[in-house]
Amino acid sequence: MRISRISRILWTVLNGAARPLAVGSLAILGGCGLQQDIDVELPAYPAQLVVECYLDPGKVPQLTVTETTEYLASPNPSLPQQVQVVLSGPAGWRDTLQFAPAFDPVTKKGYTHRGHAALQAQPGDVFTLDVTDALGRHLTGTATMPARVPIDTVEWKFNDRPEDQREAYVLVRFQDPATAGDYYRFQIHRDSISDDPEVDYTPDDRLNNGQEFTLGTSYEFEAGDTLITTLYHLDKAYADFMQSVDDARGANGNPFAQPAGIRSTVQGGLGVFTVLSYERRTIIIK
Amino acid sequence: MGIICLAAGPVAAQQRTNTLSGRVLGEAGILPGATVAVPALSTGATADEKGTYTLSLPAGRYQVVVSFIGYQTITREVNLRASQRLDFRLTPGGTELGEVVVEASGTLEQKQKSTQMSVERLTAAEAKLLPALFGEVDILKTLQLKPGVQNGGEGTSGLFVRGGSADQNLVLVDDAVVYNPNHLFGLFSVFNSDAVQSVDLYKGGFPAQFGGRLSSVVDVKLREGNNQKLGVTGGLGLISSRLTVEGPLKKGKGAFLVSGRRTYFDIFTRQINKLNEGDPDFNPIPDYYFYDFNAKANYTLSEKDRVYLSGYYGQDKFGFNSSGGFNFNFNWGNAVASARWNHVFSPRLYANTSASFTHYKYEIANKLDQFSFNLSSTIRDYTLKTDFEYTPNERHTVRFGAMGTQHRFGVGRLKAGSTDGRLNFGDDVGYNGQEGGLYFTDNFRASDRWQLEGGLRLTGFRSGSDAYAGLEPRAAARYTLSPKLTLKANYALMYQYLHLVTNSGASLPTDIWYPSRLSVKPQRSQQASAGASFLFAGGQWLLTNEVYYKWATNQVDFRDGAQLFVNPDLDAEFLFGKGFAYGDEIYLEKKTGRTTGWIGYTLSWTKRRFPAQRGTAGINNGELFYPTYDRRHNLTVVGLHKLSQRVSLTGSFTYSSGNPTTLPLARFLFQDVYGAEDSAVPVYPSRNGYRLAPYHRLDLGLVWKMKPTRWFTESDLTFSVYNAYSRRNPYFVFFDQVKNEDESQVIGYRARQVSLFPIIPSATYNFKF
Repeated sequence: MRISRISRILWTVLNGAARPLAVGSLAILGGCGLQQDIDVELPAYPAQLVVECYLDPGKVPQLTVTETTEYLASPNPSLPQQVQVVLSGPAGWRDTLQFAPAFDPVTKKGYTHRGHAALQAQPGDVFTLDVTDALGRHLTGTATMPARVPIDTVEWKFNDRPEDQREAYVLVRFQDPATAGDYYRFQIHRDSISDDPEVDYTPDDRLNNGQEFTLGTSYEFEAGDTLITTLYHLDKAYADFMQSVDDARGANGNPFAQPAGIRSTVQGGLGVFTVLSYERRTIIIK
Repeated sequence: MGIICLAAGPVAAQQRTNTLSGRVLGEAGILPGATVAVPALSTGATADEKGTYTLSLPAGRYQVVVSFIGYQTITREVNLRASQRLDFRLTPGGTELGEVVVEASGTLEQKQKSTQMSVERLTAAEAKLLPALFGEVDILKTLQLKPGVQNGGEGTSGLFVRGGSADQNLVLVDDAVVYNPNHLFGLFSVFNSDAVQSVDLYKGGFPAQFGGRLSSVVDVKLREGNNQKLGVTGGLGLISSRLTVEGPLKKGKGAFLVSGRRTYFDIFTRQINKLNEGDPDFNPIPDYYFYDFNAKANYTLSEKDRVYLSGYYGQDKFGFNSSGGFNFNFNWGNAVASARWNHVFSPRLYANTSASFTHYKYEIANKLDQFSFNLSSTIRDYTLKTDFEYTPNERHTVRFGAMGTQHRFGVGRLKAGSTDGRLNFGDDVGYNGQEGGLYFTDNFRASDRWQLEGGLRLTGFRSGSDAYAGLEPRAAARYTLSPKLTLKANYALMYQYLHLVTNSGASLPTDIWYPSRLSVKPQRSQQASAGASFLFAGGQWLLTNEVYYKWATNQVDFRDGAQLFVNPDLDAEFLFGKGFAYGDEIYLEKKTGRTTGWIGYTLSWTKRRFPAQRGTAGINNGELFYPTYDRRHNLTVVGLHKLSQRVSLTGSFTYSSGNPTTLPLARFLFQDVYGAEDSAVPVYPSRNGYRLAPYHRLDLGLVWKMKPTRWFTESDLTFSVYNAYSRRNPYFVFFDQVKNEDESQVIGYRARQVSLFPIIPSATYNFKF
């Protein structure tokens, strides 16, 4: 459990507790407007390159290169100009990605650059990323494909409610490798991989290294649901990046949180460059 | 607070002196700060925090005048042929009827002439006169109105003293440490004003008997109870009620006091939940309440022996049970107990020996359908302590003593499981620690003009195979330029062997304590301060100016994304840096007359630097930064005016520079892997680079003492208006999305400021029978 999560819970708690205080004593003061828009003058922050690249073995590499914008600027993403992206891999493999902005209907993600051929990758393979732009900014990254961690079982169990109200939970088991420092991301999508996941955990083996993991859900699935379970095995850099993104988003609007910087997996900018290693199973709840 | 010698007339060195000592008692126990004067010799003493006074006098017959604000002054003739012990008992009345009293730490003249500087004393009786948030009198919040003391945010009771963080305060209640002195995330302190006698806050110049924290000592004394008659006091407030029972164990020999309070907003929230049952748009309000109990008993075994038992137990309880099968329970609280034996060896030597226990625990218990998750942390101390005070002659007052503590740090215990046993894992991380201290100090009146105090404290700490020791010199001096003007200076070095593990600027119940071990070395600070006190207008006004400089090493913070919970390698998550604080505190106070009060102004700077280390760039890229409690300007004005015998008007105004805070300077678009929703990720390149708008607030109060009735010997109605002009003070600022009309698209971003409390009127009814 990370502090950001606990502090977020506490903030929810405090909100919950503060509300009755306000109601109890201050109902007469309704409409006081305890939130208000204000003008803030933020110091200038030079825009930095931002990359998001998840190499997916067997698929054509694609990635997004954007840049940071001032927080209160227009919501449209800012795209750097004349960006050159080069990917390198084992045995001298090299691909200069094309600038071909598009929308991937499967991932439902936009991308700015796309490779020429499907990626061949095995666990342990090392890849590098090199990004430059017209302003002379230079972003680099290195990623190693983690070993696949197989899912041993996926099972479900219904509760004891009447037939038309029955809901099931899902349990997924897998064996954590003997070495310490394994990080995971576990997702369950309903019907389509392209939609928001129903479940999204990021456990690690800090407390149960080398043991069997059991990840479960609440009673939330119905008979007939098609569920796609995915277990990603992450390297530490990617897990740290995910956590820092989570912390940074959580700190905005949480007076109890200590805002923290983004721990990127790349140098010379912000973002993530990683090779996905996952096991995916599809089940139909019956 | 030791014995404070008043301006003494010349005493022939060869003349044999005797000691007159004892205690000054009021209706409800000891009276710290009471004055025992011998006008014929122009000498006198102030009763210390245990109500004890000591005078060195030549043999002879004297008129001894004993006084305390709010009590009738008595004069007794004493024929002093040999050293003797004599207790004085004062009865209520006297000046209280004619004056409103702000502060009872003796007279301004006594304060001016003391070597001790950088100390604030406040009694609960005084705090009760001032307006309070929701009418809940909180003695720690009242201390925030003193110069050099900053609060941690709107409405919170945390104290940030001279650039120190909240965990650098040693909070004691009757000699026992309180690790988390807060209820409800710091909105209230654990100290029930009905049970508290007084609090002394040491901001610097720490006497050698105190150690273990860098920045302040908050020494809370509970009331002793009325040893003459049984009485009940209580109060009905907007959000809580209090009840206190006190009385003699044996008339004149001993007394007890039991006090409790409980909040009741859970009663209202349950009703609101019930009324909204079935409304799909209504989110049930979680249950929250806190309660606490204080108890104290004292008994005089003999003329030379007296014993005291004190205890505190309090719990905050938070619960949320959703119909969806999610249960969340979060409980935290302190249990504190102490036993003290006061023994008078002779009129020149007495000792206090105490044994104390303190325990703090929080526990989070989640249950989601068949899965459960429990997280808890504790700290538990057993402490033995003895303090001696010896007055060999009228020039020296010597104190020495020793203490030892056995700590148990339950840094984290995690247990997760499922009802069917398919899931079951957990961990438990804990350490032991032993802490000890020896000290010696001498208060030496070198001449009529010079008074010096020097002391040394030797401390040590061990946890496992890691051991540390430190020598802590303490020094203070007072020079009397004229009867109206004194100059003072002091120096103190402090070590702190315990560290609060927190990644938040706020005081959270989940903050845990960690011992010095492995790479986590003891924190260390030094502080030097100097000042002048000027008494004028016939002793009615005292103007004090103190400047201070404090520098500290091994200050702790945590790396970004630190795993603070149940981490057996927690020491690797610490970052270490330096802290600096300096400032000037100006304090003008008036304590007598129909109108009393004070004005305090502090100009201060607090900075920290955490350089690159442990594979990180440090904090703020290794550059100096201001912690959230840095305030450039702080002004407080407190006034009380007695309109009539029964009606008093009170008011306080406070102004502070805005808190430094961290705002994101930029953002980037984050799409994530399959399916996850796009989001804007804030970028925080620096720490606390933005200052919120200044904070200012006016509180007003009215105390209406009602006539005694058949049922109540005393009762009053206290009205408070918190934030009288409803200033929207910033609590925090965040950035929010602006969406189009159907909320389908983000069309911009805006900065929003959240305020916590608008104007809050409240009324409290207090009674006594």
